[in-house]
Amino acid sequence: MRMSAMLSLLICAGVSSAQAPTFNKDVAPILFAQCATCHRPGEAAPFALLKYEDAKKRGKLIAQVTQSKQMPPWKADKSDFAFRNERRLSEAQIATLQKWVAAGMVEGDKNDLPPAPTFASEWALGKPDLVVKMPKAFKVPAEGKDIYRNFAIALNLNDDKWVRAVDFRPSASSVVHHTLFFLDTTGTAAKKEADSGQVGSSGAMGGFRVPKGGLGGLGSLTGSGGGQPGSLGGWALGAQARSLPDGLAWKLPKGSDLILSTHFHPSGKAEMEASTIALYFSDKPPTKRFTGLQLPIAFGFAAGIDIPAGKKDFSIEDSFVLPVDVKAFGISAHAHYIAKTFNVTATLPDKKTKTLLKISDWDFGWQEQYRFQDYVDLPKGTKIDAKITYDNSADNPRNPTNPPRRVRWGKESTDEMGSITLSVIAAQEPEFSELQKGYQQHLIAAIRKFGGKK
Amino acid sequence: MRCCLSLLALLAVGGLHGQEKSTSFSDLNGRSHTPLSQADKKATVLFFLLPDCPVSNAYGPEIKRIAADYEAKKVGAFVVHADPDVTIEAAKKHVKDYGYACPVLLDPTHILVKATGVKMAPEVAVIGPDRKVLYRGRIDDLYVDYGKRRPAPTQRDLRDALDAILQGKAVAAATTKVIGCHLPDPKK
Repeated sequence: MRMSAMLSLLICAGVSSAQAPTFNKDVAPILFAQCATCHRPGEAAPFALLKYEDAKKRGKLIAQVTQSKQMPPWKADKSDFAFRNERRLSEAQIATLQKWVAAGMVEGDKNDLPPAPTFASEWALGKPDLVVKMPKAFKVPAEGKDIYRNFAIALNLNDDKWVRAVDFRPSASSVVHHTLFFLDTTGTAAKKEADSGQVGSSGAMGGFRVPKGGLGGLGSLTGSGGGQPGSLGGWALGAQARSLPDGLAWKLPKGSDLILSTHFHPSGKAEMEASTIALYFSDKPPTKRFTGLQLPIAFGFAAGIDIPAGKKDFSIEDSFVLPVDVKAFGISAHAHYIAKTFNVTATLPDKKTKTLLKISDWDFGWQEQYRFQDYVDLPKGTKIDAKITYDNSADNPRNPTNPPRRVRWGKESTDEMGSITLSVIAAQEPEFSELQKGYQQHLIAAIRKFGGKK
Repeated sequence: MRCCLSLLALLAVGGLHGQEKSTSFSDLNGRSHTPLSQADKKATVLFFLLPDCPVSNAYGPEIKRIAADYEAKKVGAFVVHADPDVTIEAAKKHVKDYGYACPVLLDPTHILVKATGVKMAPEVAVIGPDRKVLYRGRIDDLYVDYGKRRPAPTQRDLRDALDAILQGKAVAAATTKVIGCHLPDPKK
């Protein structure tokens, strides 16, 4: 088998070398479009992929990790609606890279080489309206477990603002994996940090926002006018900053602190991180409101996450029937280490089922906020189903405890959470409050059901 | 095909080619070493690293610990750069960043790569006093696949191999598969 594969490669290489892909004609366009955002000097990737010599040197690795789809990192499977800035390679592109490496990585005709991609020198969206930086750098040790840390940054705004985009630059890009942006109008996070005398405070998801046992705090996790209150979206390695579509904006109340909830991967070398954040404001308030429909509610707080040690196929599910016509523009998934798959579908009133998001190999490390290419129309009566599965066995190499132990809902990364958030507007803006009301009812019902079970 | 591959592997694990036995290398400070023939050591570990390979770099602290833990047991250690583009200056910066205490050798023409049969970074070769390659492969099983890392290793292959060698026992798994970066071609 191996011999015949080898033989056919040799034959291919020998006989049809005229058709063998070349770097300049076939490979460079793929690398420039799909890899160079990160694989260029000064960015997070460990080496550049802009020149022939760069690509040739890593040819074997490129062929290997593109075929296995570990690169470019893009955890969502192909679903029924295209996402913006998809980094996934097509099967044809993957095949081209395979052929190029097998045929000896030919450079080809210089005239075929497309111009190298150009990138904005500092901020992709142009001059920001406000730039802030972490006042003190946080030390990331050389090794150890992944770190979640919240950093409060005073914005000192005297007026309410509407934010259309947020961009982020780490100072030590080899250790910063992703960050979520939250707003804190209470000063709690800043006080916690000041009291501790340390840089940042511990805990995932902004630390201060996730309810600890009590149900009182759950209201703050539901949708409202400017998206999830207190959220400004997030940044992940490889992500390109984008404005919210269609003039939508997050509300930024005056006096808010910006909270970065950052995930660090130690790299083998101690680093100091002082992130810089750029905010872009809208000139005028948005004419439409948006919200996040979270399923199951509250990061899975009431979904009964209680996974026995060694259990391979645990799942949670939630469904919500849309009370009005909506348009979805984004979707994201959240869980911790032992989650395995996400599947989110929309069953339309005509009973046709469409996949909104499918992740077959969940990786805690890639908390992408997916944005649909175009609005996805979901008419009134559409049923949204979200299913998340977990593997708490020792066979799951990502299991943080070995031997496995019982895992319940919680904010520590050795606990679990699980939810998806579908970002939507009401197709008719006046119906927005009806959408909100419907989701509130779903939330209350879920909590009652959970309370009854307890 | 498979047959001749494994034959090659056997040869490589079995012994070094005569010519390289006494090959001398200068470290970054100009001191001379014969890494393939260290008469005063019970074994010698060669750590083949690449400065631009994140998997290789992630092992920095563990490599330092292994080198320190086994130094007292008369095990030698070298960091080897097999990338011909790595200059002495780049290697010095890498040492400064990651704090390696053992000697660092440049192998741009792959004398040590060919002698030991390594292909990846971070890959290690353990050479016995009789100049045989006693273990070749990964340091441990921290990485399950590219981008898939355990919270902590469950099998410490290199340490197990060294412990066996020091006890005069055979190494249970003399070769293991490495997740990491392919070593680039040698300087021509």
